Amino acid sequence: MIGGVNLAVAHPLEAKALLEWFDLEEIEPGGAFRCYGNSKGIALVISGMGAENSAAGVRFLHERQFPGFRAWLNIGIAGHPHAATGHGFLINRIEHGRSGECHWPPVPGLGLPGCGLITVAEPETAYPKDVAYDMEAAGFYAQAAGLTTTDLVHVFKIVSDNRENPVSKVSPQQVPELFRNQESAIRKLVDHLRERSAAFTNWYEIPAEFEMLLHKYRFSATRKAALAQYCRRYCALGRQSRLNEIAHMRFRDAASLMTTMRMELALPDETGEMSR
Amino acid sequence: MFSAIYIESEIRDHPRSRAILKRYRDLPHIECERFGQVFNRKAQNFRMQKQYPALILARKHGRKVLPAPAGYGFEAGQSHYFSHMLNCIYDCRYCFLQGMYRSAHCVLFVNFEDFADSIRQSIAEGGGKQVFYSGYDCDSLALEPVSRFAEFFVPFFAQHPHAVLELRTKSTQISSLLQMAPSPNCIIAMSFTTEAVAKRWEQDVPSIEKRLAALARLQEAGWPVALRFEPLLPDADPNAHEKLFDLAFTRLDPGRLHSVSTGLFRMPTDFFRNTLKLYPDEPLFARETRTENGVVSLDQSDREVWLTELETTLFHHIDPASYYRCAD
Repeated sequence: MIGGVNLAVAHPLEAKALLEWFDLEEIEPGGAFRCYGNSKGIALVISGMGAENSAAGVRFLHERQFPGFRAWLNIGIAGHPHAATGHGFLINRIEHGRSGECHWPPVPGLGLPGCGLITVAEPETAYPKDVAYDMEAAGFYAQAAGLTTTDLVHVFKIVSDNRENPVSKVSPQQVPELFRNQESAIRKLVDHLRERSAAFTNWYEIPAEFEMLLHKYRFSATRKAALAQYCRRYCALGRQSRLNEIAHMRFRDAASLMTTMRMELALPDETGEMSR
Repeated sequence: MFSAIYIESEIRDHPRSRAILKRYRDLPHIECERFGQVFNRKAQNFRMQKQYPALILARKHGRKVLPAPAGYGFEAGQSHYFSHMLNCIYDCRYCFLQGMYRSAHCVLFVNFEDFADSIRQSIAEGGGKQVFYSGYDCDSLALEPVSRFAEFFVPFFAQHPHAVLELRTKSTQISSLLQMAPSPNCIIAMSFTTEAVAKRWEQDVPSIEKRLAALARLQEAGWPVALRFEPLLPDADPNAHEKLFDLAFTRLDPGRLHSVSTGLFRMPTDFFRNTLKLYPDEPLFARETRTENGVVSLDQSDREVWLTELETTLFHHIDPASYYRCAD
């Protein structure tokens, strides 16, 4: 099972190395945001700078994808008062500088250095707190966390400027190089997220027979929910082949189908395990 | 064990916090205002978080001692519970905690002294014998090397001989207890299921042999110990429970047990619904269930007969007077 991961960056220069590493091709050129994808479930959106643009970019990409479980990862450059340029941080606390709203991305135990972050409206030059400063993460996180479990939403930042190397001296041409120096950390994170989203899909995917049965009979909303549960129970009890047989059988109507399924599910396991 | 340590700002300098932060100096330390900012937020997934849980150090505000649910423990007077921790480091598939919380992080309340004040107040107000259960929202001993919970509360209860403390656990972390003089009003109650159930549904829990060995050491040292055969889940081997009882009462002196209890698998309806959403692929929850008085249990037509058979087997080993059946 392949897990889907959506990457969000602010600038084409931040996308450059990612497009190469993951063989990403542009999809739907000419849209409000440039989006890329590959056959392995990785997609990327270039949102433009700022928290609002980042949120809009996330929304844009999401609306163009088939339903499913996907992880989200914002990667970008950030300022930091004293961390060396090129240093990468997995962000563990995001504060929206304007609203004060906080988010707490998960810490997956990958051994990547962690750091808090404040999202600001303009590039930070004073670095008053011992955290990273960016312009997108708060908008990205608030939007992406509404689309999946918060345990699948991460932010990774690479330090581009600090007190000794102010933001005014950052050349755009340096950005792809900063990313390349963090290739191993980024790949580790993307691989982790692909595994996690694949696990999520495995856990929560509704069996294909559900859709087959939905097309064959008419279900009320209540019965539809019950059907999904019955299909999952067949699979959980190791009775997938019987579920498949049922999906190919003919019943008078949905009620008759549901009665059969309910009665079969009430039968004890043939193996005798937990049969009392 | 943990991926990160979150700390409420106000208890960052609490001696207990400082000791724990020192112990976990290599993990990220992340400060928050209130543990609720990180714990139990909407859209968190317990199942996913269980793979890399964090430890949250917090201060417990509000009521610290609560009435125990009806039928929870043994009848020895008024029953209360208190939770110095929320959640458990183990991962037992039948556990109600996974349906109660959206988050799998462990919250450790470090203000033990405030809990002690509340318990002291309950003892003073209640009169008569009172029982305090500590393992309702967590495992009492599993995090002992970190929390030093028993190290603090056992001596506290030793000063209040009319009160009883039950430490409910599946852990073998008994070093701190063995270093103390046994306290007759502190009962170490250990939960057991059959071997097949334990192997299948109790992740990260010490083996039955190791747990019995730990209990035996405590019993030899003079501690009152108790057995909780809970939850009773049907087993493919019809003799599985008999084998478990034989093993337990071979390792332990049945005559010196404080109490023995059984309890069926049961979960409040809301928690069960949440758990089913988390684990739609879990055979245990795919089985037929029945709901009575807001509690879900497995639908077993011969349940009462089965329980009675198990009790008859148990009574070959123990005095029925030391036995109780947990509310079903």
